[in-house]
Amino acid sequence: MGNPFVVAAGEVGGDFFKERSSGTLPCQADESHLFCFDWAKENIDRYGTPAQQHLEIVLLSVLIGFVVAFALALLAHRTRWLQPPLLAATGILYTIPSIAFFFLLLPLTGFGRDTAVLVLSAYTLQIIYRNTMLGLDNVPDSVKDAARGMGLTNRQILWKVELPLATPEIIAGLRVATASTIAITTLVVLISAGGLGTEMYGSNFNFPTAILIAVAIIALMVLAFDLLLLTAQRLLTPWRKV
Amino acid sequence: MSEQTASSVRYVEATKRYPGASSPAVDKLTLEVPAGEICVLVGPSGCGKTTAMRMVNRTVEISEGDVLVGEDSVRDREPAQLRREIGYVIQQVGLFPHRTISENIGAVPQLLGWEKDRIRQRSSELLELIGLDPELGDRYPAQLSGGQQQRVGVARALAADPLVMLMDEPFGAIDPINRERLQNEFLRLQAEIRKTVLFVTHDIDEAIKMGDRVAVMREGGRIEQYATPAELLMAPANEFVEDFVGADRALKRLALMRVRDIHLWEAPLAHVGQATGEVRAKLESPDVEVAFPLLVDAERRPLGWLSERDLAAEVVPGRPDSPLGPVLELDDVMRDALADLLQHETQYAPVIDHAGRIAGVLSVEIISEFLGSPEAKSDEHPAVERPHG
Amino acid sequence: MNVHPLLASFSGAVEFIFIPQESNVTGGKEVGGFDKTMELLVGHIEVTVLALAIALLVGLPLGLYLGHKEKGELVAVGIGNAGRAIPELAVIALVATLVGIGLRNVAPALALLGIAPILNNAYVGVRQVDPATVDAARGMGMSELSIIRKVELPLAIPTVMGGIRSAAIVIVATATIAPLAGVESLGDFILNRNVYGENGLLAGAILVALLALTIEGSLALLQRRLTSDGLKVKTA
Repeated sequence: MGNPFVVAAGEVGGDFFKERSSGTLPCQADESHLFCFDWAKENIDRYGTPAQQHLEIVLLSVLIGFVVAFALALLAHRTRWLQPPLLAATGILYTIPSIAFFFLLLPLTGFGRDTAVLVLSAYTLQIIYRNTMLGLDNVPDSVKDAARGMGLTNRQILWKVELPLATPEIIAGLRVATASTIAITTLVVLISAGGLGTEMYGSNFNFPTAILIAVAIIALMVLAFDLLLLTAQRLLTPWRKV
Repeated sequence: MSEQTASSVRYVEATKRYPGASSPAVDKLTLEVPAGEICVLVGPSGCGKTTAMRMVNRTVEISEGDVLVGEDSVRDREPAQLRREIGYVIQQVGLFPHRTISENIGAVPQLLGWEKDRIRQRSSELLELIGLDPELGDRYPAQLSGGQQQRVGVARALAADPLVMLMDEPFGAIDPINRERLQNEFLRLQAEIRKTVLFVTHDIDEAIKMGDRVAVMREGGRIEQYATPAELLMAPANEFVEDFVGADRALKRLALMRVRDIHLWEAPLAHVGQATGEVRAKLESPDVEVAFPLLVDAERRPLGWLSERDLAAEVVPGRPDSPLGPVLELDDVMRDALADLLQHETQYAPVIDHAGRIAGVLSVEIISEFLGSPEAKSDEHPAVERPHG
Repeated sequence: MNVHPLLASFSGAVEFIFIPQESNVTGGKEVGGFDKTMELLVGHIEVTVLALAIALLVGLPLGLYLGHKEKGELVAVGIGNAGRAIPELAVIALVATLVGIGLRNVAPALALLGIAPILNNAYVGVRQVDPATVDAARGMGMSELSIIRKVELPLAIPTVMGGIRSAAIVIVATATIAPLAGVESLGDFILNRNVYGENGLLAGAILVALLALTIEGSLALLQRRLTSDGLKVKTA
C-alpha cells in the first residue's frame, strides 16, 4: 500500500474504502469491491483498442445513418405522401431491440463489424429523419413565400433557406442519435465486433471496476460528441445568439 | 439609381380556378395599370384581390387568360426568372432570419449575379432611402422592430430595380401611427422612383390615400369600379362601391388634399422690437381674418402667438406669451392637418413653406367651410390632382 | 446471397418455437418447443411490465409536477439526456454483481432506464402546453391538481406517451440480456447458443422483435385512443 489514490481515498471514504482497498487481498478477487484503483492504474491500457473500435463503429454508424435519414427526409419533404410510411418504417427499425436485430441479420451478414454498423445505422434513422422533418416544417411560411416570390427556385429555397433554418433541429437529432449509438454499441461484443462492451462481458462481468471504467469512458465520449455538435451548431447558426 | 423605366401591367381576361371550387377565384379579370402608377386592389376578404396580384408573378398560376407586363406575357417566362424582375412585398414581410439585413436586401441582386461591391453599395443606398441607419445592415431581422422590418421588406423588393412592384397588405401588421408614417414615406419614395405598383389592401382609407387608381373588387375578382380615388368618392358606380367606401365620403376626401390646396387665412405679423401700436392697428383692420398676431423673425419664420399682455408693452417682446402649438406644412395631407388641429385643441395653426417661412394660417373653420362649399361638391376640383414631387 | 439457406434458417427457427428439437449439443436432450417458449415469453413480459410500472410510478408524477411548476428544467432534461447514454450491458452487469440477481433486483434497475424518457417527456409535454390555456383554467377557479389532470395532461398526451413508448422500448431491449442477471426472458435463447443451437438463436431474435413490435403497436393504439379529437385535428 502506498498508492496515493488509495491513501487519499482512505481519508475521504473512511472505513468503506480502507477495507476494500487493503493490500493483503487482491482487490479484484473480491467481487464486491466497488472500485480497485490498483487494477485501474495497471490495466488502463487495455481499454485503448476497445475504445478505438467503439469510436470507429459509432462514427461509421452515425455517418451512414445521417446520410440515409437526411436523404429520406429531403425526399419526403418534396413528396408529402411519403411522410407517414417513412416515419413508420424508421420507427419499426428503432423499436426492434438491437440485440434481436443483430441476430436476425446473422444469416445474412454474419458476425462482426458489418452487422454492427448496419443495425446501428438503422437505429439512428428515426430520430434523424424525424428531427430533420421537424426542422424543415418549422420554417415560417412567410419566409418561404417571400423566397418564392423573390424568384428563388425550389432547390435554392431548400438549400439556402430551409436547411440553414432547420439546422438546430437537425443537430439536436444528431446529438440524440450519437448518444444512444455510443450506448448501444456496447452490445456489439455479442456479435464479435469488439467495442467497450468487451470490458463489461465475459470475465469482467462480475468485476465492477472494469465495468465502471468502461462506463466512464463512454460517458466521456458522449460528452465530447455532445460538446462538439453543440459547438458546430453555434458556428452554423450565428443569427440565433441574438 | 438605374435608368430602367417601369412597365405597365395588363390583365387580359385572367382567370384562376382552384380544383374543387364551384366558381373561379378570379373570373376573367381585365384591367390595365399604366406604367409608373400605383394601382390599389381593394375589397372584402375573399374577393380575390391577393390572388389577382399573385398572378402577375405567377406565385398563383393563371388558369385561363393572360397577364402582360409591358408587352410580354408572364406565361412565356420561366417563373423564377420572372419573379426576379418583380418586387414582392407581403404582409408578414418574410425576411430571412438567418441573413443580415444587408444580405436580405441584396438577395435578388445576388441571384441576378451582381458583383459583391455593387450589391453592397446598393444595400446601403437602399437603407438610406428607406430611412434606416446604414449600421443596421449588419444586424439580423430579429433585432429590428416590426416597422423597421417592414421597411427592409420594401427595400429588398426595390433592390434589383424591378419593373413592377407587388405589395400585399404591406403595412397591415403595423400599428396605426407607424403605418401612417410608412405610407407617407412610401408615397415620398414613389414620387422619386415612379414604379408601377400593384397594391392590395382591405382598408378603403389606405386605398384612397395610396392609389393613383383604385379597383374596388368583389368575389371572383370582379371589378365594380376602377377609377381615381376622387371619382370613387364623388361618383361611386353602384351601391356596393358606395357601401364599401363608406358614408363619410366628404371627410375621406380630405385625404386627397394638401394644405396648400386650400385658401389659407392671413394673420397679422409682428416682429420683435416693433412698436405694439402698429400691431394693434393691424388687428383693428376690418378685413383681418385671424384675431391674434403672429410673432415672426427676420426671415418670417413663426415664433409664437402674441397675447393681450404682450401687446400691453411698448414694444413687441422677444418671448411671446403663447407657444406656437402645432405647425403645419404646405405639403401636409389635409386629413392629417385636421387631426393635428383637433388633437391639440387649438383654433389656429401656422402653415410654413419649405424654408420655414409663414405662408398662412389654417383653422378648423376653413376646413369645414370648404367641406360645405359647392366647390367641394363639384366634379372639377383642382385638389383632385395628385401632387407629384 | 443464396436465398435457400436463408429460408432454411428461418423455417428452422420457426419450427424451434413450436416443436421441441433434439439438440445435438447437449447430448440428445430436448430443447425448445412451445412450452419453453411460453415460459420465457412470460418471464420477459413479467420483468418488462414490472419495470415499466415502477418507472411510471416514479417518473410520471415527478415529470408532470416539475413541468407544471416549471422548475427543475436542468434536472429533467439532463436526466433525459443522460438516460439515453447509459449502456444496458453495464446496468445488467453491475446489478448482478453489486446488488444481486433475480427479478427483485433486476426490475428496479430496468425501471431506472425507463424513468429517464418518461420523466423527460412528461416534463417537456407539460411545459409545451400553451400558458394561456393554463392561465384561463386557473382563472376559472380550477385547483392546481385539477389543472394537471384535466388540462395539462390531456394536452400533453402525445409527448408523454412518446416517452412511455421510448421507455418500453429500452426496457424490452434490456430485458433481453436480463438472463445474464438471472432473470428468465427470451434472451435466454440468444445468449445460450450452446444450449439452444442456431435455431434457438434465430428463434429468440424473432420472438424478441415480435414482442417489441407488439408492445409498441399496442401503446401506439392506446395513444391514439387517449388523444383527444381536438388534438388529432391539429396534428393532422
